[in-house]
Amino acid sequence: MNEKKIKIAIIPAASCGGCDVSLANLNEKLLELTNFVDIVFWPTVADFKIEDLENLESIDIALFIGSIRLKEHEEKLKLAREKAKILVAYGACACFGGIFSLGNLFDPEELLEHVYLSNELITTDNTEKEIPGQKYEINGLDLSITPLTDHARPLNDFARVDIYAPGCPPREIVLDMLIKVISDYIQTRQIPEIPLVLAKDTPLCNSCPRIKPEKISIDRFRRIGREPIQQDLCFLAQGVICLGPITRDGCGLPCIKANMPCRGCFGPTSDVIDPGGKFASAFAPLFKLDQEKTLSDEELIKIVEEIDDPIGYAYRFTLGISLLKRIMREIKEGRTE
Amino acid sequence: MADGESKWEPLIVAFLCKWCASAGADLAGVSRLEYPPNITSITVPCSGRVDPQLILLAFVNGADGVLIGGCHTPADCHYVAGNFKALKRFALIRKMLKQYGINPERVRLEWISATEAQKFVEVARDFTEKIRKLGPLRRREK
Repeated sequence: MNEKKIKIAIIPAASCGGCDVSLANLNEKLLELTNFVDIVFWPTVADFKIEDLENLESIDIALFIGSIRLKEHEEKLKLAREKAKILVAYGACACFGGIFSLGNLFDPEELLEHVYLSNELITTDNTEKEIPGQKYEINGLDLSITPLTDHARPLNDFARVDIYAPGCPPREIVLDMLIKVISDYIQTRQIPEIPLVLAKDTPLCNSCPRIKPEKISIDRFRRIGREPIQQDLCFLAQGVICLGPITRDGCGLPCIKANMPCRGCFGPTSDVIDPGGKFASAFAPLFKLDQEKTLSDEELIKIVEEIDDPIGYAYRFTLGISLLKRIMREIKEGRTE
Repeated sequence: MADGESKWEPLIVAFLCKWCASAGADLAGVSRLEYPPNITSITVPCSGRVDPQLILLAFVNGADGVLIGGCHTPADCHYVAGNFKALKRFALIRKMLKQYGINPERVRLEWISATEAQKFVEVARDFTEKIRKLGPLRRREK
């Protein structure tokens, strides 16, 4: 092992594996990277055990993938923070809770029951009605699986994060920036003083090439895949929910170019307190803007209420950092009345 | 009921527009009309200024209910159409709260003009009683 090489650990928690694939997708760049980097831990691609990480004295950079959903993830994160000089939240789940945090709409018990006990999922084949998290012993050996935590949470709920690499998964653009940061670190051994976010702090709309009308008034809410969507006109102007106004720019607009609205995987800009609240603030007033004075209050409300699953749209990747989560946490942890 | 339960008093944050609802609340004051002290009012320039983020922030900081007071639709708004913005945002944020398991009745929108001191008092009393019945903010209530 070359002494001058820096050590990188890639640690997955609650993740779908897409982030690992995005790293593997570096192709030849990954080979170049290995000239000055040792990957000391990456259980997704090789047989590593958590002891391998524990046995290392220190690592330089930990790429932490996924949100914190199990007790085990919490321990992994603690270990990563102790060992690593720089902790990178890699991907939307690690940064904001991601898709997993939509599970926060339900209690952990409800989730387990739905997946393991209900007959609604055809993939469920559980005749013995076992649920993970229960105590499980065989021949005196404790084989219990680690329990679900109350919420899926982003890393910064538990540990200081030095670099945020957002995206679902992070795009090549972000990876290039990350590699730049890593090579800067190799030369200077400087740890960023304030957390770095590898995206712009301006909304996506700033670089979106679609035509944005001066005034947007939409007659109803439209869903992708149900009716034709124009290629060159702003999604909001067509009544399609697009999170462009509240989402960080810097992804290179792959969705917009594929005629799909922004789903917000780069997370909110720094002036947003709550992504869903901010989105409601921006989107709701557009409904029937030109007929406000002629429609009754009830008619106006009815059109807005036609949006099904507003949380799924507005907090697609960010329920883990929402104020809603904080309300519930503070109630649970005994807010004084 | 435990002791702690009986001592609980609802806390309601009211975002009142400067031109109508807040003036109505002032008139209630100078007319010496009584309303429950549970309401903490915050005067905003316009009900259209009440970003749904503020409603959520009020809940995070301990409110059990949020009242928004604005000018009557369709023509009273000092800024022409701010109250319509408030109305539509209110509808959407209520739906989000409901989806998350928070009773949407904890957010209320009322049009109260500068002369309607009596209406403000009635709304304040009625809303306080409703929140008192609902109890402290919690998830998954009926």
